[in-house]
Amino acid sequence: MGSAMIDYPGNVPVWVNTNNCKACDICVSVCPSGVLGMRYDSSSTLGAMISIDHPEACIGCNECELTCPDFAIYVADKKEYKFAKLTDEAKERQAAIVANNYMSLDQQGVK
Amino acid sequence: MAFNYDKYLRLEKMPTLWCWGCGDGVILKAFVRAIAKLGINQDDVCVVSGIGCSGRFSSYVDFNTVHTTHGRTVAFATGIKLVHPDKYVICVAGDGDALAIGGNHTIHGCRRNIDITMIIINNFIYGLTNSQTSPTTPQGMWTVSQKAGNIDPTFDTCNLAIASGASFVARESMLDPKKLEKVFVKALEHRGFACLDILSNCHINLGRKNKMASAMENLEWIDSITIPKKKYDELSAEEQLNKFPTGILKEDKEAAEYCDLYKEIIKVHQGQRKAISQDDFAKKI
Repeated sequence: MGSAMIDYPGNVPVWVNTNNCKACDICVSVCPSGVLGMRYDSSSTLGAMISIDHPEACIGCNECELTCPDFAIYVADKKEYKFAKLTDEAKERQAAIVANNYMSLDQQGVK
Repeated sequence: MAFNYDKYLRLEKMPTLWCWGCGDGVILKAFVRAIAKLGINQDDVCVVSGIGCSGRFSSYVDFNTVHTTHGRTVAFATGIKLVHPDKYVICVAGDGDALAIGGNHTIHGCRRNIDITMIIINNFIYGLTNSQTSPTTPQGMWTVSQKAGNIDPTFDTCNLAIASGASFVARESMLDPKKLEKVFVKALEHRGFACLDILSNCHINLGRKNKMASAMENLEWIDSITIPKKKYDELSAEEQLNKFPTGILKEDKEAAEYCDLYKEIIKVHQGQRKAISQDDFAKKI
């Protein structure tokens, strides 16, 4: 049988196994810097799927990986990837994503 | 490289059967990380689970596992532990499993102080059977068995375990997976009955009827009812009402462990010592 984890694809801070993701919004809500967002996806059970919109803003805090209940999201080690620092712009983007019902900012409406 | 759980999972059963955002998955991950951190061999671990959503726990982890009857996790685990005192035996039960139908077994496991780690996944409802009142459902909440609002007073799991004699009692919520991992490590290292009350969310069967229909809304509610133990102790009795202290609430390393006492019984039957008397207990055997 396959594996829950997808091997590190290289040069990304965070990567997702979309076969395991159930679109519960938890990772999006715990991200401090607005890296993640949900995107409409008609093939998913809940009609949405996680997307990594701003990988350059990832600070490598690991919160999304730890709070994911479904072995879907993984964060690189500090040795493998040079993470950014938390900026005010990133914080504002995160607040906007939460206000947008955890959807990416270019996705409108309610899930 | 991120932590790879594959070694500890039965991958043919993935993805898990739990609803989206269910805390059981977070607890399972923290438990696997704790086992990996302690460097325990997978063959030295036995996970015993009962019935309910939490019962699926034993299906997903690649240890020795037993999926037992409703509420009887501690009874099965006691047998396993007495035969294999050197193995790690872990019970996983839900709030209904451990406190309602299995309440009897839980309190007697605590009383014997046998070296079992009991993880009670407390989601405040009977989730698997669609929202019946459980012993931990807060008063005033809507459930299908109490449609006018729940009037039953609730159990405080940790106080119950402390009163029954468990030597390690802790409460954490799934909101902080790092703390959860630490408390699992401590509980597994502890020799004696470790009772862990892990607060989890059930936004599907508790939340949808009680104005917290998404995982995040349910988690915010859990966050609002939990306070670290230090801060909790400073509150007045009125403020403490309906709040739960988190952290390690009791840790007694001196309490006699049941397997050790049982070894003395074996010695008696092998003719290596006289029968145990009350005087022996005065001298701690």
